[in-house]
Amino acid sequence: MLNASRYLKIGAVVLLAVAILAFPSLAPNPYILSAGVLVLNYAVLSTSWNFVGGFTGYISLGHGALAGLGAYGTGLLVAKGGLPPFLALFAGAALVAALAVPIGFAALRVRGASFVIVSIALVLILLLVFQSSASVTGGSRGLVVPRPFDLTRPEHHRVFYYLFAGLLAVALLAWWLIDRSRFGLGLKSIREDEDKAEALGTATFSYKLIVFVVSAGFTALAGGLYALWFGDLDPVFQFSILTGSYLVLMALLGGVRQLFGPVAGAIIVGTALEYFKVEYGDTPLHLVATGLLLGLVVLFMPDGILPAIGDLLKRFDRTQKSSIREVTAAELREQRRGEQDDPNRTAMTEAGR
Amino acid sequence: MTETLGTTDLRKAFGGVTALDGATVAFQHGRVNALIGPNGSGKTTFFNCVTGMIKPDSGTVTYAGRDITGKAPHRIARGGMGRTFQLCRTFPRMTALENVLSAVPPGGVLGGLRGARRRSEIDRAMGWLSRLGIEHLAGSEARDMSWGQQKLLELAGVLMAEPETVLLDEPAGGVNPALLDRIGVLIRELNAEGRTFVIVEHNMDLVMSISDHIVVFDRGRPIADGPPSVIKTDERVLGAYLGV
Repeated sequence: MLNASRYLKIGAVVLLAVAILAFPSLAPNPYILSAGVLVLNYAVLSTSWNFVGGFTGYISLGHGALAGLGAYGTGLLVAKGGLPPFLALFAGAALVAALAVPIGFAALRVRGASFVIVSIALVLILLLVFQSSASVTGGSRGLVVPRPFDLTRPEHHRVFYYLFAGLLAVALLAWWLIDRSRFGLGLKSIREDEDKAEALGTATFSYKLIVFVVSAGFTALAGGLYALWFGDLDPVFQFSILTGSYLVLMALLGGVRQLFGPVAGAIIVGTALEYFKVEYGDTPLHLVATGLLLGLVVLFMPDGILPAIGDLLKRFDRTQKSSIREVTAAELREQRRGEQDDPNRTAMTEAGR
Repeated sequence: MTETLGTTDLRKAFGGVTALDGATVAFQHGRVNALIGPNGSGKTTFFNCVTGMIKPDSGTVTYAGRDITGKAPHRIARGGMGRTFQLCRTFPRMTALENVLSAVPPGGVLGGLRGARRRSEIDRAMGWLSRLGIEHLAGSEARDMSWGQQKLLELAGVLMAEPETVLLDEPAGGVNPALLDRIGVLIRELNAEGRTFVIVEHNMDLVMSISDHIVVFDRGRPIADGPPSVIKTDERVLGAYLGV
């Protein structure tokens, strides 16, 4: 029974990978291809967000600002610093990761709603900073980032589509590695009960800070890549509270405890956002729809779409036990039998060390 | 008897409420120590202060001769002192095995990207689960387990960290009589293997039957200490707590 669901999972992942890789060849026009780049950008961003949100349970609405910092870091290093584009990308991300140390040091001291508010403050502060220091950042007039390749528009989109896909693969690999590591176990225990985790010897603050820096690094890489692709930055869009909200929605929709949850959420929400923009233009209807979607997810699929699909599949799988109650009853019987047979159970089973 | 955990003039107030009022206590190494007293006499605050969960206003905490006052809880835990919580706390959406594996053994640092599922660690974790009689639940999430099973799971997690000293906050709370006996036997066994215990407990049958040394708290400070036979007949204890 385990094998069947495992094959199903592997099949789904392969299908997803093939679909992502084949998309540029299937896209009917450059506009659709550019929408695909945006969706992949969201997929990388929400996967990066999930390093903090999924493992530790700290809900950050400020990751838009980290992406913005990555975008401006890369953009400024290219436009003003004259660095080669991809060196600037990595240098920018490293700078943001370094900056994430003091930011995390302050923000991660508070939990729950307080952390959410601190993360919002980060976005608002940076928006003001980048708007007002126009002599460096270009302010509201924007910052033009020279394009790294001399290509036609469709080719430019295609190259960046694959660059984002590659970055997504690396981010997913890193998340997967942490998920199965001892470090990941510690992070998840923080999500479940932080005081208890600390009482069991986990250095909770260091754990949180390290994963926050990793998350910020990947977020900044996505932001920097966006800057090189889009070529024009404006503080209002780079430091928007909406970006962070979208990332949270995507991750929650897909499932924060799943490796591919944020990707699934990004594909659904990202596509929906683009569709709404095409159909309803500048009206705020896409925001209404997004809000509705978030409400529905929280109400009916609190663990996200992927776990909900998993449960649905399990219901059709006859080889698996069909309800929790049945399992507990069986376990209870077994336990009672054990106690009757052998009253000195604890004494008999000599610590299996 | 050498001292394991001790405090000198420990004080802690929450606003106007004095929880600890100059508590000077010495527990005994290698023994089962009990800490009893009426509700609100400062027992849990005492636990929280000595394990670093809250900082005392003044006074010192020493463990094995070292001053550990105000140290971070994870450092104290890795220094060899493990604890359970009054209202049993487990990681609800993690399996029993993961719950136990997440305990960090002494000297264990960040752990890096090393796999959490190393054979030796899993074997050790399963060893504790089976010793506590819940190995058949290894793959179940803690939130699906009964109260008693969760109490055993919490204990398994604490023991996984290989503590020299184990602080138990009401191990008998909400537990059925059969399980209570098992917990009592287990504490004696673990003590015989060299672990020191400090137990906060209201179940006097359990306290009197398993402890070597009892400290009685009233209004944030100890009013008596000694072996069970002495405590049972102490006038002040009878008046303040046992209510006879």
